Amino acid sequence: MADTPEAIKKSIRIYLTVGGILFLGTIITVMVATVPWMDVGQHGFDKWDCILGLAIAATKASLVAAIFMHLNHEKKAVYWLFGSALVMVCSLSFLTALGMFDPIHDPLFYGKESKTPKILASPTLR
Amino acid sequence: MEIPYVVTPRKDTGLFNSKIAIWLFLASEVMLFGGFFSAYVFLRLGADYPWPERTLPVLPGLINTFVLIGSSVTVVFAWASLKMRQWRRFQFFMGITVTCAVVFMALKGVEYSVKLKHQALRLNDYSIVEGHLAYELKDGVEAHHGEQPKADDYALNHKGKKIEENQIYVETSKLTFDLRRFYQPWIEEINNQVGHRDAKIVLAQDVTAVTQEKQAPETLAKAGEPLSVDLLKKIRKAHLAAAAHNSRLRTAALRKEWKTAKAAHPGEADWKYASSVNIDTKALEPLLLTEIPSVAFNVDPPARLEFRPRDIQEAAGKSTLRDGTVVEGALQASPMGFHYVDAIDFQYLVMKAVEKGIDPEIAIEESWLYKNHQFVRDAWTWHRGEIEKLKARLLKGYGTDKDGKPKREPTHKELYRMGWEDFARMAEDNGRAKLSGMDALGEHFFGPDYDARGNETFPHLVVPREQVGFSAKFSPAWNTYYAIYFIITGLHGIHVIGGALVLAYYLFFGRKMYLSNPEWLANRVEIGGLFWHFVDLIWIFAFPILYLM
Repeated sequence: MADTPEAIKKSIRIYLTVGGILFLGTIITVMVATVPWMDVGQHGFDKWDCILGLAIAATKASLVAAIFMHLNHEKKAVYWLFGSALVMVCSLSFLTALGMFDPIHDPLFYGKESKTPKILASPTLR
Repeated sequence: MEIPYVVTPRKDTGLFNSKIAIWLFLASEVMLFGGFFSAYVFLRLGADYPWPERTLPVLPGLINTFVLIGSSVTVVFAWASLKMRQWRRFQFFMGITVTCAVVFMALKGVEYSVKLKHQALRLNDYSIVEGHLAYELKDGVEAHHGEQPKADDYALNHKGKKIEENQIYVETSKLTFDLRRFYQPWIEEINNQVGHRDAKIVLAQDVTAVTQEKQAPETLAKAGEPLSVDLLKKIRKAHLAAAAHNSRLRTAALRKEWKTAKAAHPGEADWKYASSVNIDTKALEPLLLTEIPSVAFNVDPPARLEFRPRDIQEAAGKSTLRDGTVVEGALQASPMGFHYVDAIDFQYLVMKAVEKGIDPEIAIEESWLYKNHQFVRDAWTWHRGEIEKLKARLLKGYGTDKDGKPKREPTHKELYRMGWEDFARMAEDNGRAKLSGMDALGEHFFGPDYDARGNETFPHLVVPREQVGFSAKFSPAWNTYYAIYFIITGLHGIHVIGGALVLAYYLFFGRKMYLSNPEWLANRVEIGGLFWHFVDLIWIFAFPILYLM
């Protein structure tokens, strides 16, 4: 762990680099969303914009967690704590997502067209 | 008392205690925000209306992201400075961090206030109007087209504030107040309004009541007394005392009945004879006091009163306010008046039309807005021209696929929404108000400059009440997008404030600890920093999701 003054002095350069990458990542995210020639996939927002945007965000978040929050060299206890929270969030979201497969959303479940709004009803989300 | 393990690590965890504590807290925070982010995903997937895509101004959000990332770097530097025992450097970097937090919240404040002053209206045909409402003018003052009303032309409410032109008008002849539920500010407002209209609100008839057991009724208030909160409170006091007294008597009588009944049915289950246990109401009658649940007032002469739509359930002849007040009188035309319209949005209307198998273009041309407002027709014609140009541009830029279809097409939003930028360009195309570079940049930050561009760009629009489907400010009430936007950013904002307070505490009150035990302070700053990075981490996801997608 970067605890001695000398080690900290060395890691300052890394902190600056990470800061730079975070700025750059933000600019790229905005450009992907707003500049036509950077727009991937379809014109306008589509799943590729979504994937790319979230991928950049995830990279930025991992950098913050790994370098600024020192998760690249932490004690085991911290990994257990933080890791279990992430696992819980994912599993709870997954359980909620199962609701999407509830037969109530199936238009043929009751033998006729259901009035329940269909999943992905939003015409803007392709 | 000495606190253990603030500097040295515990053997079993390998960490100093506060670090375990902050990670436990952050784990719970992950769960909290994780819940809201997944709520966002499910709300969006299940939305039964066109999701407002890229609807927020990107510039303030982008600046805020930079501010927060910058502060994340400086807070690490502040910690590193403490580790290297450089107090001045620590102060410098921590100072920047706290300043960044203040800037972030200030920008957030601007963003929120712009949203909460911005009106949205969904008509019954699902077309949407956005803009700013006009303000009510005093009776007899006429609004001249193209002329701004003077400051003293505006009608004011009882708090001295201007009233938005989104009111339900009732030519009121009688008001009946529910004494338990009446809402004081509304009474004041009603009195304020009749004051402007030279009318009086007076008690319809004497209020007489028995206020003492076995006494003659006394007159609490005389017919003709003017409406006041004090008068209502006085009668309410008598009413509540009577109600309490009567219920006490009834309970005592019932208890007595039960005792007698139990004595008459020894050993038998209660429920078998419960139906025969009744209060002798006749015997109780002379002892009861008079309850006065409501009082009626006449408006003399009948005057127009205004109520906010959310406060009134209007009906011909007899409307009801949310506090149970019954307003008797004829409903009048109560249009909703926009002073500046800055967007006309047909996305929802088109979605509904497509569901029914109606051609979008026909649906738009059949919409109330299109039929009744020349501006909307002009704007739509101009907009269609722009869409043709966009289609040509996309075709030229990206070509066609093997079936001969263009590879890229305008989005649903581009096709069916005319936003303020479109209105501004349309006006500029027609040789009207053009803004200089700096002012135009400002618009991308604070929203359109209505006064500079004027009504030629952002027109007046009046919508009759019967066309109004749903209206709200751009608040959580408007749609689930704004609900989740305010929840995530609001909760994040609270975290920013909390984190900044803690960091500011280290900055301003840390000197003493620095001199006595610098390593302890360094550890504290590390903990504060961990929280601060987490706040940054949340924003890293919130920004693209809420502003760009």
